[in-house]
Parts: sequence; C-alpha cells; structure tokens
Amino acid sequence: MGAGNRLAGALTFVMPLAALVLIWAVVVPAFQVRPQIFPSVAAVIGAGLAGLRDGSLLTHAATSLARVAIGTVLAVLVAVPLGILMGISRGLSAFLTPLLRFFSVLAGIAWIPIATLWFGYGFGAIVFVIFNAVFFVVVYNTLLGVSTIPMPLRHAAASLGAGRRAMLSDVLLPGALPNIVTGIRTGLGFAWRGLIAAEMIATNVGLGYMLFVARDFYQTEVIVLGMIVIGALWLSIDRLLLAPLERATIERWGLVRA
Amino acid sequence: MKTLSLKSLSKTYFDLYAGSHHTALHDISLDVPAGEFVAIVGPSGCGKSTILNMVAGFIAPSGGEILVGGEPVRGPGADRGVVFQSFALFPWKTVLENVGFGPKMRGVPKAERDEIARDYLGLVGLAHAADRYPNELSGGMQQRVGVVRALANEPDILLMDEPFASVDAQTRMTLQEELTRIWEDRRPTVVFITHDVPEAVFLANRVVVLSKGRILEQVEVPLARPRVWDRLVEDDAFKSLSNKVLALVRAA
Amino acid sequence: MNAALVLWSWCLRTSAKWPVLQTLAPFVPVVALWWAVAAWGPFPPAFFPSPMDVVRAFGSLVYRGILPEYLGDSIARLAAGAAVGMALGIPLGLLIGLSRRAYTALWPILLFFQAIGDIAWLPILIIWFGFGMTTMTVIIVYTVLFPVVLNTVLGVRSVRVELYRAAQSLGATPARVLTEVVIPGALPNVITGLRNGLGYGWRALIAAEMIVGTSGIGFLMFDARRAGSVVEIVLGMIVLGILWYIVDAWVLAPIERATGRRWGLVTQ
Repeated sequence: MGAGNRLAGALTFVMPLAALVLIWAVVVPAFQVRPQIFPSVAAVIGAGLAGLRDGSLLTHAATSLARVAIGTVLAVLVAVPLGILMGISRGLSAFLTPLLRFFSVLAGIAWIPIATLWFGYGFGAIVFVIFNAVFFVVVYNTLLGVSTIPMPLRHAAASLGAGRRAMLSDVLLPGALPNIVTGIRTGLGFAWRGLIAAEMIATNVGLGYMLFVARDFYQTEVIVLGMIVIGALWLSIDRLLLAPLERATIERWGLVRA
Repeated sequence: MKTLSLKSLSKTYFDLYAGSHHTALHDISLDVPAGEFVAIVGPSGCGKSTILNMVAGFIAPSGGEILVGGEPVRGPGADRGVVFQSFALFPWKTVLENVGFGPKMRGVPKAERDEIARDYLGLVGLAHAADRYPNELSGGMQQRVGVVRALANEPDILLMDEPFASVDAQTRMTLQEELTRIWEDRRPTVVFITHDVPEAVFLANRVVVLSKGRILEQVEVPLARPRVWDRLVEDDAFKSLSNKVLALVRAA
Repeated sequence: MNAALVLWSWCLRTSAKWPVLQTLAPFVPVVALWWAVAAWGPFPPAFFPSPMDVVRAFGSLVYRGILPEYLGDSIARLAAGAAVGMALGIPLGLLIGLSRRAYTALWPILLFFQAIGDIAWLPILIIWFGFGMTTMTVIIVYTVLFPVVLNTVLGVRSVRVELYRAAQSLGATPARVLTEVVIPGALPNVITGLRNGLGYGWRALIAAEMIVGTSGIGFLMFDARRAGSVVEIVLGMIVLGILWYIVDAWVLAPIERATGRRWGLVTQ
C-alpha cells in the first residue's frame, strides 16, 4: 500500500510537468517559433544526447556539483561549532549577531568581484562564494537552534550528571540539529543560485558557463537544456536529500521549527 | 428559537488504513424543543462531536435528516451558532470585532454592531477587553468571547462542542455558572457536547448518553434553577443524577 | 574590578537606551582590525584597501553623482520587480492554496521553475529582450514571485479549519470568508514570503547588474573589478550590506512582527 501510494504521488507530481512538455511540443511547431527564440523539444533532447556522448554535459554538471559540495562541507564544518559557541555564550551572541546579519546580506553573489580578485577566475573564487552563501545562514540557524532548546532540558541534563562534553553531544547538538538542517537547506538554495551566477562570470566550466557561452551562439537548445538540468538537479538535491533529512529530524522528534 | 430534530441520522467513514467502511453513528433520532438545553455525553470516540458537526453543517450525514424549525440543514448557516473547543477566535480581529462579526456579515452598520458587541461583552464582564486581541487574553476569557460571539449573532440554536474542556478547573466552574445564567435569561436552544458528566448534569435539562454511535439513554434533569456549584455539590438530587449518568457512561 | 563593573553597567544602560549603539558597537573592532591589517599587514593597498580609502572613494563617488544615481537605479528596479511579483504572486498563491485542483496542476510546475532559479534565465532573457531594463525586471519578478506564492499557499493552508467553520456559521459568504479569514490568516506568511523574496531578488539584481547591467550597484562593483579598483568593490559591498540591513531590520521585520506577534500567529 505504501509503495502504491508513493507511486501515485510521484505520478501526480510528474503529470503536470509532462503536460507542460506536451504543450511545448505542440506550440513550438504550431507557431513556427524560430530556434533562435525557443528550441523544439527534439532539439533539446538532441543537445542533451550530444552532451552526454562527448561527456561535456557530465563534466559541467559534475564540476558544478563538486564546487557546491566542497563549499558547503567547509562552511558547515566551521559554522556549526561557531553557532553552538554563540548559542552558549550570551555575550558572544549579542556581539556577533549584527555582524552576522550584515554579512549574511552580502552572502554569495556580492562577493564575486572581490573573490575573483583575490583568488583569480576559477575554482577558488567559486568555492569561496558558495562557502559564504552557506556559512552565514548555517551559523545563524545553529544559534537559533541552540537558543530554542528549552532551559528545563539543559537543567535536566545537568542534574542527571551531564558534563560539558555530554551536554554538547547529547543536548545542544541534537537539539539544534533540526535548525542546522534547515539552515543548510536555505543556505544551499542561495549557494546554488550564486553558483550559477558565479559560473557565468568567473570560469570556463560548469553549468552556468555552459548556459552563458551558448548565448553567444544563440544555441537556445543548449540554454534550455542547461536550465532543465539546473532545475532537475536542484529539485533532486532539495527534495530527495535535504527535505527528507529535515523531516527526519523534525518530525521524528516531534519538534516544531522555530 | 427553533426546534431541532434528528431523524435516523447515520454517518459512515471510509477508513483508509483498514480499507473498509467504519460506522461512526447509527440511527440517531433526537428531538430538542425550542428553548431546551440538551447535553450529549459519552466517552471519546463515541461520535458526539460528529453529531454536532453535522448539525452545524460542517460535514454531511450519510443517512437520515436534520431539521431546524422543520427545514433540512444544508451546510453551515447563521441560524446555528457554534462555540468551539479551541475557541476559534479570529486572531487578527480584536475582541470587539470578533463579537461583531456575525452582525457585520448581516450588514449591520459599524456603530450599531459595536454597540451590540459591547452589550454582549458586558454580559460576561469583558467590556474592558474590547480592544484587545484574542492572543492577549487568558483561555477562560477567550472562551467567554467565543460564547458571546455566537450569542451576538442571535442564532436559533446554539451548538457547543466541549467548550470548557481546555480551561482550568476553577475557570470552568465559573464559565458553567455564567452559561446557565445566560441561558435562564435568554432561553436559547442549546446542544452541548461534553465528556464531563457533572458538567452535563449541572447545565442541561436533559442529558443524552451516547455510546459507540448509538443513543444509550436519555436522562431528564429536573433540578431547580438558578443552579450554582456551591449549592449543588451538596445536593442529593444532583449527586444521584450524576452518579446515574456516570454509571451509564462507564457501562458504555 | 569595581571600576570595570561600573563601566560595564554604564555600557549596558547606554546600549539599552540607544539600541542602534548595540548594533553598531560590534563593527568598531572589526573596522579597527581591518584598519590595522591594511596599515601593517602584508597586503598591498591596491589589493586590500584601508577604511579611509573606502570613505574617500565614497565621498568621490557621491560627489560625482555616480553612487546616488546607481543606488536609485538598483532600488527602483527592485521596487518595480517586487510590486509586479506581489501583484502576480498573492492571487496565484490564494488560488493554489484554496483549490485542490489548482494545487495538483500547478504545484509541481511551480517547484520546478523555482528550482531553475532566477539567474539561469539570464542567457535566454538576454536573447529575448537584450541587455537592459526588461531583462532585469523579469529576473526580479521571477525571483520575488516564487517565495511569495509558496508562502501564500502555506499561509492559506495554515488557517485552522475551525476558523472557516466559525465564519461560515456566523453567516459569512464565500467571498466574505476570503476577505475576513483567508487573506488575514495568510498575511503573516505572505509578508515572510515577501521578505524572503526581496532577499533573493536583491541578490539576483546584483548578479544581473554584474552580468548585463549598465548601471546599478552590481554594475559599479563589477566595473570596478574590470578596472582593478578594490576600493570601489568594497564600497559597493558595504553599501549593499547597509542598505539591505536597513530595509530588512527597520522595514520588513517590524511589519512581520506587527502582524505575527500581536495576533499570536507564529511564522517560520
């Protein structure tokens, strides 16, 4: 029954998208839309097959994903400890919060010009942009997570004999986890957009670059292909990886997001 | 005021997990004359809230008929005022605006409906809270607003769904006394759902005991009014009626 | 020891009186550190300018009228895009939130187009509309639209069923239920959506200005990058940060609080 339900759910999700593709397949030939304005379904599929055959599509996609993964992992590794530290210390949190808010506004795209100056065009600058986009959101959410842990829980742990280390690993970290995951999800949302923008400006490989170069040659089929890949990749990351993770922490424990 | 009559009312649900039909109510027939206070008691899951939701028009019966003043019920309407367990006050409206909501829907001009609302708030001693938002009131105060909001619309029948279940014990007794006072004053037709037996006996003219979707028994409550807790807790007639109903509910 | 406590208590009292101070104080050591690194650090000034250089650049850009003009352009674009985004997004969100059928048909499409993200539209928009105002407006509208729609839907669905029932049994018609229950009930979420949407829109605008712009703060920064002027890049970043801080902290957050808090409705 569960499997049947899931299948039905997937079908109701895919149906409207399939209908959209159908409309596209009908409208483009019916109105004789020029390929320089919008490509036909066949042209996009052709571009996709060509990209798969010569491996360029996989290279672009893999490079983009690798940049996001590295930037995100680095950011989370630094951000979570800092966020917990801020959550414990009221003074530190009062002091750093305005700074965090200021920099989280700048997160991502605004760093592109200076990142390319400091790191040159390419990998370093882009990872830096991703790092930025994820880092501040995760710190902020970790802080929020720690501060929403009810005081009685901390008191209970302390009176049951929890030391500093146990308090951290058994109360603070798990208590803040739902918010941390939410932060990663939001941050990645910013990072993914930042990535595409950064790749248009500052590199010669990656999905953003693929799109932007195609524009020079009016290859709308490559552009639309790139957009679909970008959308599908993000949708899979968000829905198949992040959303279940978020649900697993939040719903399992019956916690409500603050 | 109008009469309410339920004629062979039934309700079946399709249970998604079991994959079969589940009967919540069987063949419920009940007549409530105009101006009577009827309480329906029963353990949770006995179907008492389902009856109320059907009378209110929120859900449709699977079989049978609901007549208000001889007219069949089709969906929710202003002739049946509802007081909810969760208060259901509009959080974005002040207390005054909440109570004046029904008159507003009838097109009563603002000055007039504010006056109506103030009158009703005075009835439960909340005139001072008129400009506050529901969120800023205690649970007991919120439910007083919920009660007068329904009354201010002058419904033919007042439907109350465990209205005092989520307030503390002292407040609950005060609210019960206020409700009997208002009822003696205005004599609305009331259907009151509760799982609290003393509450049902204290408030009603007649207590209907419901069990597993069927009416088990109806108990008349001939206690004198006005009813106040200080006197009734010592009253033998009240105690024996309560015990009788309690025995029925526990047997159910 | 005692003197330190007195000083600390004075700091607390002052910052309580002027919350602005509390906001600004943390920036003092940061700017001081920045100054110190610029003065004594290993970086050449062209690579790592000092705060004074940035202030001087600010003066000069304001004096030449470039900064006010660009700032005006950016804000006007964001405002126009946000207005159109809201005008489209709120009704769409109400429709999807209220109608089961609209939800089934449109929700997946909405999620997919949201996933494509604003900036990915840039190349094809440039082909369609060229470099200019239209392209940028479309990007902003696109960016603002999704958070507004998604949050409006969330808001509509978060209205408790008893509130609909209460309104109906008090005699409200469907139109009245919409204006008295659905819209106010969804409002805190709509504002949250707008706040998120503007946050995304702001970033998208900067990116769009960098890539296709001929004016605006993003263009200023990217132009400075081409000319190798780090000072103007840093200045651009600071202007961006301050501006958004003001909009978010002094305009959007208070509106959000005013609706959500007083009504006791919690939004995420």
